[in-house]
Amino acid sequence: METGVKIVEGSCKGCVNCIKSCPTEALRVIEGKVNILPELCIDCGECLRTCREKALALDEDDWDLLKSHGPVTLMADPTFCAQFSHYWSLPLIREALASLEMQDLFDQASVAFDLAALATANQLQEASRESLPLISIYCPAVVRLIQVRFPELLHRLVKTETPLETGTLLWRRENESKSGVVLVTPCSAKVMLVRGPVGRTRSTMDHVVSVKRLARDLLAAGPKVEGKSAAPVGSRWLAWALRGGESRHVRAFSERKLTTMAVSGLRNTIDLLQDLELGRLKGVDFVECRVCDLGCIGGIGNAESRFLSELRLSRQPIEWKVSAKEHAALQELYETGIWKLEQPIQPRPRPSLADTLDEAMKKLKEMQALYAELPHIDCGACGRPSCRALAEDVVRGEGELTDCVFKLRERISLLGEEITLLSGKLPHAFHERKHGK
Amino acid sequence: MDSRYEVEFPVRGDDFLAAGEASNQIKETLVMLGVPSAISRRASVITYEAEMNLVIHAGGGILRAIITPERLTIVATDLGPGIPDLALAMKEGFSTASDRVREMGFGAGMGLPNIKRNADVLEIDTEVGRGTTLTATVFFGRQDAREG
Repeated sequence: METGVKIVEGSCKGCVNCIKSCPTEALRVIEGKVNILPELCIDCGECLRTCREKALALDEDDWDLLKSHGPVTLMADPTFCAQFSHYWSLPLIREALASLEMQDLFDQASVAFDLAALATANQLQEASRESLPLISIYCPAVVRLIQVRFPELLHRLVKTETPLETGTLLWRRENESKSGVVLVTPCSAKVMLVRGPVGRTRSTMDHVVSVKRLARDLLAAGPKVEGKSAAPVGSRWLAWALRGGESRHVRAFSERKLTTMAVSGLRNTIDLLQDLELGRLKGVDFVECRVCDLGCIGGIGNAESRFLSELRLSRQPIEWKVSAKEHAALQELYETGIWKLEQPIQPRPRPSLADTLDEAMKKLKEMQALYAELPHIDCGACGRPSCRALAEDVVRGEGELTDCVFKLRERISLLGEEITLLSGKLPHAFHERKHGK
Repeated sequence: MDSRYEVEFPVRGDDFLAAGEASNQIKETLVMLGVPSAISRRASVITYEAEMNLVIHAGGGILRAIITPERLTIVATDLGPGIPDLALAMKEGFSTASDRVREMGFGAGMGLPNIKRNADVLEIDTEVGRGTTLTATVFFGRQDAREG
């Protein structure tokens, strides 16, 4: 099982700062090195933000190597277009990329995002009242979070493929092209769209590189642009880089008035999903969650400050009205079903403590007994995020109680007492001689 | 053989900040045991609503979960005011919660009906002035029978 985060060999100092930041307790520091439990990791990138040693990184491909193989085709996340102050519009970015032998797929992306919004609006239209609200699939970390922690909500995920994938498919169909496409990702979560997609067997994109890498490269090259480039492309898709953009887009395609909710940030996402699980969101049609602050522009793989990106995007004029001509073209594509998710999304719960409920109950009791002996201060020195996690690891055979410094000290102190006691004892022969005199 | 696992949580009355903690922990326990998600979902609705009843109406009480290989039983015990008209309390939308509680978004009169919908067996033993004991059972073999 893969994750969107990679460990940089040799950089980890074993400081255990990261393990507390993980919302699913997927990190362990064992023998001074960080480990990721892939079955729990949701690729959210929180650990990358906390690591001072840069021992955790986005698992991207080698950009210099990719470039060296000749012209590159890029499927860029909309956040990419909010990174620059001097290539501030789509045609300018296109021109800058083209001068460096890179081809963008902005037009295909624009159509694909329109199509995704239309497909989602249609699903909302057809859904029964009890099955609402539906949940956006655009943030892959949210999808994984639901698979791992909220499997009961899986049936609420919209059955729409991510438009980044659909856009690439559209381009491949138009050009009958099999050449490589590079996804430009703002975060570790979207790395997984290429490396281990959910809801389809494999991605039609081939490589993945961070927005940061590409944006810095572009700025370093500093190509001169004259603003004479290419026809403008639709701009509604750019709104998806911001919290609420997708919801706005879906509303633009809906016949009835929709009640939508959009939250960003990991804590807000978890809180909202909990509310949803408890049936508190009656009357809401669509829920958009993004684990990064302010939406995808807050992703760890961006170059630009999220606040500046937000400012820039909010100034982009966006035409929300869909023309009749656009509608007809989209409807035609909609009928082909290219926007559909291939497979249903399955739950991904952590393996239970044992295969049978009986065994698991025994292990759980064992675990509670171990936990009761621990200091309950969750200091992290054992390399686990909490005392509970250590108790669980011990029961699963992946650790020892003496990994806890407090338990270790207790053992040493007991041993010390025993040594003192033993040192007071004398051999019998010695006794006799002493008393004999 | 001792095939039984039991957890118990004291629930404080009127403590809306801590409300939901006991049901969260029970849910986590079920996941660790490998109980199917459809079951643990129903269980978490029951425990949450029962917990909220203890917080809102009973001035606190004890929430217990008893797990055996066949079933999960949730028992909520309190020494609160008791329920004068049980049939009325089981009606959707009926609530005796105060305005203050409603302002916080609770007390919509869905608690007991929600528990009934999600439990395979529900027993409520109540007496005005003495308190209430609610016992809800979910059988593990029947997860397909109920959805939503």
